[in-house]
Amino acid sequence: MGLSDFFSDVVSSFGFTEAQAEAPVQDTETETTTQEEPAEKEESASVESVETESAEETPAEESSEEAPEEEEAEAEEEEEEEEEEDEPEDIKPKLEEECAHSAVCAPYKHHYDECVERVTRQEEDEDYKGPKEDCVEEFFHLTHCVTACAAPKLWRELK
Amino acid sequence: MLGRSILRASNRAIARQSLGKSTRASSTAAGAEAASSPFYLTLTAALATAAAAGSTAWYYHLYGQEAFAMTPAEEGLHATQYPWVHERFNKTFDHAALRRGFQVYREVCASCHSLTRVPWRSMVGTMHTVDEMKAFAEEHEYDTEPNSEGNIEKRPGKLSDYIPAPYPNEEAARAANGGAYPPDLSLITKGRHGGCNYIFSLLTGYPDEPPAGAAVAEGMNFNPYFPGTGIAMGRVLFDGVVEYEDGTPATTSQMAKDVVEFLNWSAEPEMDERKKMGVKAVALLTGLFAVSVWVKRYKWAPLKTRKIVYSPPIGPRR
Repeated sequence: MGLSDFFSDVVSSFGFTEAQAEAPVQDTETETTTQEEPAEKEESASVESVETESAEETPAEESSEEAPEEEEAEAEEEEEEEEEEDEPEDIKPKLEEECAHSAVCAPYKHHYDECVERVTRQEEDEDYKGPKEDCVEEFFHLTHCVTACAAPKLWRELK
Repeated sequence: MLGRSILRASNRAIARQSLGKSTRASSTAAGAEAASSPFYLTLTAALATAAAAGSTAWYYHLYGQEAFAMTPAEEGLHATQYPWVHERFNKTFDHAALRRGFQVYREVCASCHSLTRVPWRSMVGTMHTVDEMKAFAEEHEYDTEPNSEGNIEKRPGKLSDYIPAPYPNEEAARAANGGAYPPDLSLITKGRHGGCNYIFSLLTGYPDEPPAGAAVAEGMNFNPYFPGTGIAMGRVLFDGVVEYEDGTPATTSQMAKDVVEFLNWSAEPEMDERKKMGVKAVALLTGLFAVSVWVKRYKWAPLKTRKIVYSPPIGPRR
């Protein structure tokens, strides 16, 4: 008993912080309230303005078209921001494009381009009766080189 | 000290002498035999050596070179090695990534792929809280035990339930997916050559258009990483398909990375604990080794520090 108590005391004296699965309650509450409040205010404000300006004739959806220019501009800006947030651009194709044009993968790129050109010419030519060809192998070599080149760069960008 | 060194020196000298004698005797004997070696012995040895070399060459000729009947397209493109953080021996899973990955599974993969070996409870504490997981479990209905009249009713899910499959059986899954069976994802990172790299490459590797001349069957999609390159699953991860709750930009590769890490967790949920055990074992073994070194020194101390002194008897001089 005495020995185990001694060891547990020694361990606890180091002050390791235990990882908690549950987030602290107070912080989350404050965060959620702060996040929700402005959103609610904006919504209520926009609804009020719409109602006051054209409450008589048209329903709310149509009235937004007739709303003043300033509000439209604001709305457009908001929409654009939302779109940007909703559809972030993937960096992987861009990195691979850069890698495909780099000196490392240049031979593979050259072979693949040449193959594509040859095969498309064969397909378009109706009189061609040679063996049927595809560029899968060339594509494999190019893709292998390109992804291997882009992998560390990609991982630096991803979370 | 002096006495000891004298003793040693004399011992060595004796040993050397006796060795020298014996070797000299044997070498002279061998030399005499070699001189009188008959021709048939040399011939036999040479023939045996030639036969050994010949049979080895024949074997290599027959079986040495493997025949590759498969084309690269049938093998599938070998997945690139990505620098996964959780695969390092001293790193754990990124649990924020696991949480995002489960969200991707829930919103994207779960419509076709089952995850039948993972219970809701196993995610409590690793990526979600108890209340969140209870809410997820209660969204699904499960069969009850037969009641007093023998009828089986439905009840909301509990933490101890396993994640329900999208299809009741394989036939239903095949019928709904044009004959292709979406595999269960519980152990998929262990069940595929290439593991995490393969799945990440598969998810992100759909090219915009198949390379020229490649034959893609109807209802199939071209994916270089899938053996045969024709895969029934279309590309599912597009930028912004999922909206992460922690604000991470949901790009295709980000979602693929997260869901692969989640699937790796579902295949080996014990990984964090296993690495912790490994560090524990290293700590214990180094401690034991240090103890053994000290104990050895303690036990050998009397032997290492002893001194043998020869004091010759003092007799009368001759």
